Amino acid sequence: MSPTAHRPIHVALVGLVIAVLLAGCGTDAASAPPSNPAGASVAPGPSAEPSVTPTKLVVGLGYIPSVQFAQFYLAQQNGYYADAGLDVEFQNKSDPDLITLVGQGAIDLGIGDGTSVIPAVSNGIPVEYIATIYGKFPNLVFAKASSGIKTAADLKGKKIGTPGRYGSGWIMLQALLASANLTTDDIEIVEYPDFSQRAAVEQGAVDAATGFANNEPIQLELGGTKAVVLTIDDITPLPGPGLIAGTATLDTKHDAIAAFVAATLQAMEEIKTDPSVGLEAAFKAVPELATQRDAQAAVLNATIASWTGTVQAAQRLGAIDNDGWTKSIAYLGTLGLVKNPVTVDQLVRGDLLPGGD
Amino acid sequence: MSRGVWLPVVGAFALFVLAWKVVVVVSGLPPFILPAPETVAQRFVEAWLQGLIWPHFVTTMVEIVLGFAVGVTLALLVGYGLARSALFERLASPYLVAAQAVPVLVLAPLLVLWFGPGLLSKVVICGLIVFFPVAIATMVGFRSVDARLIELGRSLRATPRQILRTLEIPAALPNIFGGLRVGVTLAVVGAIVGEWAGASSGLAVLINLARGSLFDIPLMFATLLTVALVGIALYLVVVAAEQRLVGAR
Repeated sequence: MSPTAHRPIHVALVGLVIAVLLAGCGTDAASAPPSNPAGASVAPGPSAEPSVTPTKLVVGLGYIPSVQFAQFYLAQQNGYYADAGLDVEFQNKSDPDLITLVGQGAIDLGIGDGTSVIPAVSNGIPVEYIATIYGKFPNLVFAKASSGIKTAADLKGKKIGTPGRYGSGWIMLQALLASANLTTDDIEIVEYPDFSQRAAVEQGAVDAATGFANNEPIQLELGGTKAVVLTIDDITPLPGPGLIAGTATLDTKHDAIAAFVAATLQAMEEIKTDPSVGLEAAFKAVPELATQRDAQAAVLNATIASWTGTVQAAQRLGAIDNDGWTKSIAYLGTLGLVKNPVTVDQLVRGDLLPGGD
Repeated sequence: MSRGVWLPVVGAFALFVLAWKVVVVVSGLPPFILPAPETVAQRFVEAWLQGLIWPHFVTTMVEIVLGFAVGVTLALLVGYGLARSALFERLASPYLVAAQAVPVLVLAPLLVLWFGPGLLSKVVICGLIVFFPVAIATMVGFRSVDARLIELGRSLRATPRQILRTLEIPAALPNIFGGLRVGVTLAVVGAIVGEWAGASSGLAVLINLARGSLFDIPLMFATLLTVALVGIALYLVVVAAEQRLVGAR
């Protein structure tokens, strides 16, 4: 046999080994969650008696360390999680696979929004949304106040910067334009895959851009430029980022996760009442943030403002807007993002909220 | 090619697909972790027919071809210089090795920052990653030319250009093609890494969309399959060129 005739067999063997290793890793991750599934031993609520062995929860925040996670830092530092019998480990990094890892059970809890959870569940990833963090949808369009842009209709014929034609920002932009009977064909899209759209707005390279309520417009104003923002909360109520967990994890650690939600919401309430406690908690957790005290305070204030939408104002922080989810499923369906039909009951459960049913 | 050559290739591929299917069935892994081969195959065909992959494929191919061309051109010139000038080798080698030692994955975000998220940064990244193996192969190739042959050429009053064209290049070609084989597969890696660091179109962008935005894991696998096929196809093109230019000698 010639050397070239051997090669395909070698390739097949290597492929087989890789496939077996992959299967081994996948099986471990799927069948054996990384933390101790002792949720049943922990009573819900931050005041519950801690069990002898705390229940470990791995929580993926899905982004680099930031003041926007102040409620998690505060709850950790004040011992709310420990008091509830929890040993919480945060994964503070950008992770595009967070929802998949949560569904797989490799991470117990994560942060995801409706525009991600709906297509994920539609594609068979077993995750559920259990508490709202951002009651207002944080994605928005921002521009300089001097641009003359005041409503969605004003975007017609304008150059709009966006990181790409994907994700929650792109969905928000389409919904915003639709509210003024416009489509993306009525504007000029300029893509900034390196997320430099704020600089583009500042320099006048584009008239407006997509961004986050607690990021680009704040940075623009901190730089001395008055900003104007267009949001979609009153147009298409897309569910903002909230806590998600895998369906299997919810079965094995239901009470522990309920305790985590309660402790986190308690910290959110405290920060809402006194933002300075959140700011200090963030500085303690991420000392580098303290070098930009004013900027971080502005980001935190914008973050706090995003926690309370209409439903949260009427009920409590963390409340889930089921009607908004229903409308979101319908809207994402029109964009072709719901491959297989899903219902709100498949996506959302409210029994992990304090006093939840 | 004869049946005797293709049969083992097809058989090995069938074995690989069979092993994949067995793993899926035995492990019971959900499709969002490891989809079955037939699911990926179906999505691969669908995505191509829907025109979903095509624009990203074109973007990546343009980056690969231009990056490879730029990298190879520079590598041939520098490789020849390294082979023929000891001073040039002493001066340039540390920089070449240092550039190679820094992972392109680390350099890519910086290059995207400098050259923008468009085509230019991808061509630079591809060119960089292709450059080193081809330059070294070129240097080794030209150094391996029998000095007595060059002496013979000079004694026959051949001009330096004639010596280069009729003696040095043909003798160095087998080594150069060794470098090109490595370089062309690295060009695919360079384009994907470049797109990963920041791009609005390309196969890496589609992979990211499929996994992080659409949650369409079969599409992610289908795109990975496309990347693999691109690498194989380009490698075979280099092998064919090698057989034509070197094998016919």
